[in-house]
Amino acid sequence: MVTDPRVPRPRSRYDAPMITTAQVERALATIPDPEMPISITELGIIDGIDLEPTASGAAIVRIALLPTFVGCPALDMIERQIVEKVTRLDGVERVEVRVIYDPPWTVDRISESGRASLREHGVTVPSPGDAPAGGSTLVKLRTSAVPCPFCGSTETHLDSAFGPTRCRSIHYCDACRNTFEHLKRV
Amino acid sequence: MPAARAATEDTAMTELDDATRHALCDLLLAIADDKLMLGHRNSDWTGLGPILEEDIAFSSIAQDEIAHAQALYEFVGRLAGTTADALAFGRSPDAYRCAAVVERSDDNDWAIALARQLFCDHLDQLRLQRLSNSSYAPIAALARRLAAEEQVHVEHADGWVRRLGSGTDESRQRMQAALDTLAPLSASLLEAVADQATLEANGVYPPLDPPMTATWCAKLTTLVDDAGLHLACPESAPNTPGGRRGVHTPEFPSILDEMCEVYRIEPDAAW
Repeated sequence: MVTDPRVPRPRSRYDAPMITTAQVERALATIPDPEMPISITELGIIDGIDLEPTASGAAIVRIALLPTFVGCPALDMIERQIVEKVTRLDGVERVEVRVIYDPPWTVDRISESGRASLREHGVTVPSPGDAPAGGSTLVKLRTSAVPCPFCGSTETHLDSAFGPTRCRSIHYCDACRNTFEHLKRV
Repeated sequence: MPAARAATEDTAMTELDDATRHALCDLLLAIADDKLMLGHRNSDWTGLGPILEEDIAFSSIAQDEIAHAQALYEFVGRLAGTTADALAFGRSPDAYRCAAVVERSDDNDWAIALARQLFCDHLDQLRLQRLSNSSYAPIAALARRLAAEEQVHVEHADGWVRRLGSGTDESRQRMQAALDTLAPLSASLLEAVADQATLEANGVYPPLDPPMTATWCAKLTTLVDDAGLHLACPESAPNTPGGRRGVHTPEFPSILDEMCEVYRIEPDAAW
């Protein structure tokens, strides 16, 4: 029998089962943010995973990525790691990563485990409902009550709105005299 | 803001006609070119800031401005079928749309650099606010992100103007001198791009109420008064064509040559 190589053979019951969204999610959860002690899924920058089955049985995986900050220099690295990790999974034909701004990423997308991990490393996250950036002046921010991740005191002040990465500011705890970082609310 | 997003989607444009597309590209290039020049000028302060924290802050702002410019160039690139690098570094001087105030050197005077940042940040925030309400949903989504980040710049510049205004005689005098020097030149920011009226009419760049220029002036004047300083804020663009129409200051080619040096040697260089 002559088979046309351009026509993929139909799936049979002996083929590996289709890859699932959960499997892709598990692979993504192993990718750390390059600049913070948190995985990219905990950070909430993955917005959607679409699987498109192809005739060969393998799927095209489309992943939407929300940048924390526009043009964040870590984004290229994250994108490369996503492609690398997910391509290695069984049943994946190709991975396409799309950077989108709608919905916008906000700190509210960070998971509870992500918040805990950041806090442990001295980085605090604004709680849902905290005043958004805007409307305040730097003079007012000086007395902002960002609780210290080490001792819990609210006797803290803003040292600089510009920290080690574009998404973080630097604060100082007047109670336990530790410096800590805070994710900016955007 | 799910509600705001849904409202935008209802009236969203998905296709742009040629005239609108050209005008939008021109407008986005004006914003991106301002940010690229400003980011480039600010990066001159890396290692030279008046204090360490400010050195880091000014460098971070430079990084933000260039990242914002890049995102806008990529957006224009998709509309116009070119790349961000080609737009940033590959155009002839008359194809740039930046304003005279960002082309001006700060002559190593940090007060001038700060005043330049103040005028530009306040206008950027308003331009992005207008684009956030655009009838063209893709640019509205990007503008909302950029506007949230721009807020930090505005707070930073405002905080310094207040601090220097309420500082020593020398700080007051130097901040005042910088505001006096740059205020007339800041009118260059207000010039409209060609066919801006089209974008205002079809809601792609909806006007503000009260108008953007008045809002800009009022915010700046209130701040500067509050800081104990004085500002004669320009209330309209100059009558002669300027950067938005490709007419630039005599010092523009030299900053462009400096910025584009590597790209011109090797346009396909990868980093």
